[in-house]
Amino acid sequence: MSSVSDDDFDKRGAGSIVDFIKLGAEDNDHSYDASVLMNTSDGFHCADYRLDQYAVDVADFSSQYGSDYSISYTATNITGKPRKYPEYGDFPETYAMRTYGEWWEKAPSSVHEIQPQNISKIPAQDYIVIYFEEYVIPEEIAIFETFNPGALIRIWAYTITKSWICLWETEKLCMPPLQAINKARRFSPQLKKGNLPTRTIRLEFNHSLLHYFTEIDAVLLRGRKVNIESIQRILDCYKSHQKCSIIRKLQQIHFRPNVKGNYHNHLREFFTNDLNEFINVLNRNTEVMKSNVTAEYSCKNIGFKDMPFEIILKIFSYLDLKSLFLVGQVSKSFYDVSTHPLLYSEINLKPYWYLASSDMLCTLAKRATVLKKLDLSWCGLFNTISPTEFKKFIQQRGDNLMCLRLDSCKILNASCIETLGIVCDNLKELSLRNCSTDPPLLNFSCLANLKNLERLDLFQTVIEPELMLTMLENNRKLKHLNLAYCGIAVNMDTVAHHIGQYNQGLISLDLWKSRFLSAAGLEALSKCTELEEVDFGWCLREVSLGDSLKKLLLNCTKLKKLFLATVRGITDRDVENIANFCSNLEQLDLMGVSGITKDRYYEILVKCRKLQLLDLSFCDNISSEEIAFWSRTFQVNIKCSHFPDVPNDIRY
Amino acid sequence: MHSLSWTTRVISRALRSGFSTLLETASNATANVNSASKQRPHFVSVVCGFPKDFLTSKYKPGKYGEDSWFKTSTTNADVLGVADGVGGWRNYGIDPGEFSSFLMKTCERLVHCVNFNPQRPVNLLAYSYCELLEQKKPILGSSTACVLVLNRENSTVYTANIGDSGFMVVRQGEIIHKSEEQQHYFNTPFQLSLPPPGHGHNVLSDSPDSADTLSFSVKEGDVILVATDGVFDNVPERLLLDVLKECEGVTDPVKLQMTANSLALMARSLSFDSEFMSPFAINARRNNINATGGKPDDITVVLATVAM
Repeated sequence: MSSVSDDDFDKRGAGSIVDFIKLGAEDNDHSYDASVLMNTSDGFHCADYRLDQYAVDVADFSSQYGSDYSISYTATNITGKPRKYPEYGDFPETYAMRTYGEWWEKAPSSVHEIQPQNISKIPAQDYIVIYFEEYVIPEEIAIFETFNPGALIRIWAYTITKSWICLWETEKLCMPPLQAINKARRFSPQLKKGNLPTRTIRLEFNHSLLHYFTEIDAVLLRGRKVNIESIQRILDCYKSHQKCSIIRKLQQIHFRPNVKGNYHNHLREFFTNDLNEFINVLNRNTEVMKSNVTAEYSCKNIGFKDMPFEIILKIFSYLDLKSLFLVGQVSKSFYDVSTHPLLYSEINLKPYWYLASSDMLCTLAKRATVLKKLDLSWCGLFNTISPTEFKKFIQQRGDNLMCLRLDSCKILNASCIETLGIVCDNLKELSLRNCSTDPPLLNFSCLANLKNLERLDLFQTVIEPELMLTMLENNRKLKHLNLAYCGIAVNMDTVAHHIGQYNQGLISLDLWKSRFLSAAGLEALSKCTELEEVDFGWCLREVSLGDSLKKLLLNCTKLKKLFLATVRGITDRDVENIANFCSNLEQLDLMGVSGITKDRYYEILVKCRKLQLLDLSFCDNISSEEIAFWSRTFQVNIKCSHFPDVPNDIRY
Repeated sequence: MHSLSWTTRVISRALRSGFSTLLETASNATANVNSASKQRPHFVSVVCGFPKDFLTSKYKPGKYGEDSWFKTSTTNADVLGVADGVGGWRNYGIDPGEFSSFLMKTCERLVHCVNFNPQRPVNLLAYSYCELLEQKKPILGSSTACVLVLNRENSTVYTANIGDSGFMVVRQGEIIHKSEEQQHYFNTPFQLSLPPPGHGHNVLSDSPDSADTLSFSVKEGDVILVATDGVFDNVPERLLLDVLKECEGVTDPVKLQMTANSLALMARSLSFDSEFMSPFAINARRNNINATGGKPDDITVVLATVAM
């Protein structure tokens, strides 16, 4: 759409028209585009055979269970042919995401969405973008789900015209049907008819109803092969449609100025010579409509417009961003209200990741003069937003920013981070999940300026150890800290000592899969007496814990969530301590902990009365019947994924 | 699927411009294939073996008792590997076969990863050992391992070996390369291990870096034997050589399979021969242990010849 600015006439329309077109460009609009393309390119030719392809590469993802350097549970496992299908079970050869169910939302560290009205009824929680080798017109997409199927909610395709099309969307979020539980599934939903070739597919997941981690083995894309000439023809055709929206509109009402060649001159000629005729045509078309409208309008005495400005503003504040842009098209007065800065104090573009662009950011910068919270997560894939534009935006509007979320954001480069550190010194919440780039963003050091942080989320983002320590030292008010899998260079024992010294008000701490945490670090953390949530999953490897866990549990009496997945050094005594000291515990993960006697588990169930979740997957000395029995007796959701033949959610 | 698309494209192009083009393209294509494969060697490889308690053990692909093996290939490398799980773990309630089998399976998967380097087979061992730590299920135990990679680009074989499994290369009736046996002391080989929590300090554990690495170039017809100690401890080297030199230059997998079978059977019967002075017994005597006869063990034979 950027080429619109070629045209002199559209410039006057300023941002609003551009944005309207952008925001209004829904799936309908795309299918319309496609149909126009089909008609005008006189039915472009595509090869008459179908191609089955498996994914060859992963372009982007929001979350993975495995570590980057590993081949277990990582995103790249989704490529290639199915390795495990039709077997069912927890296989490391597949792609798994980090969360499932509502347990993370129930935990103390859960976050509220910014501008919640933007979020669709079935929000996406995670995504993965995969490449295939050849461009095809998609006819079938099959997902091979080998464990806990049913998380897929949307399929998008990135077409050759550089736009995203939603190929399929689930109607409502529902539990997977009973007969589908405990069976691997080849899921191929009915796709919307599309005519544009693609080789990039994006899958979106919502696992809030899942009983346990979902695992995906492979993705198959079946479609008609398109030859290169057709692709070129579609692109040419598309470009000509993009050239000038006015000309396109004129063509639609069958008024065709001759626009071959130098259309600027032709258009000028048209405006001087033929405009009157054109207006006549328009009037004839709209006369009927108009008469209806006026009749209706006259019988109403008080209109929406007569309401006080504040009321309209309040009403508009319930609108999502897309509607807000649309409503500005209604009239001049609506436009004035809809561009009011107060409506843009919180902006969340995550649900509109497929529309977010430099242009849009530019328009928003004009309106959001009192911006407080900004969420640009998931935006900027395939360079739709330029780092320069983002930097400009932050420089203009960043000084009041309290909350900034840039999860899986592809815009960031070193100088962006630098700008952030300099401008946004009031930030209370900073979320940079999954922002690692290759080469890594070495210039994180300017973030050391931040002094007021209460929440810092660096999940899956590589960070320098030195900077980490400075940040901890500077931000004494820190309440929530997520350092899960933030690179192997960080020595977590040092970090833990720093936390114990400077951040004793910490409420939640996530050190999942971080390296080099030992019993000494654990002991240092016991100074944070406010802790309600800790995740030590996959750290504390090959160490005997000694008394460190006991100390932590004794001091942190408020603990609601304790995750100790694969902390193999845990002994009977540690489990006994958990039972004795954690009376407030709601979630406990002991996955992969071996050598614990059955009675110790029982003791936990008896003594932790508030317990809701207990993960005992891959724990030995315990049978599925006992787990089922305990689950019923104590009304606790017990997971045991190593018994794939037994339903994973033995629910009370 | 790809070959289908390719053929279709060729055929449709041919129909457009006369059938003669098709013939030409096809003959060109085959010529290309031939010339390409001429410079690029590959392995013709077969496997045979026996678990120690043949009658009671259940057959699982890629496993003979506690031994495991894999063979796989990519466009520019052929990879063979064997691993022998250390049996002592059975007393701790740990299945020793699981460790070796995981090691080999992971090696096989790693070969197909994008960043596989055919010149560094020791990385395969190191990464698959790291992969053990990424499993939800604790896989405990220890294992010896030997991995051998043929790099087709330069006809060179790269090897990595930990412990007493090994390989042997025969050309023109002579052993030209052979792996060294790595032992801490008699009958206790170097091993990769992951002990159960609490046993860490008194368990032998060697890092993958301590693997013996070797690289040598191979020629057409060379015979390569990769086997676990069940073979090397029971069959004397001279006997092995006699069998191996028979199949120099054999590219028929059926013939090769027969040789592998007879080797495995030879090792099997010698291991139960209580009179026979096996290499194991000779070694034992060198260490002042009075022993005769073979050493009953799991047996894995991976036999390969180099073909161009």
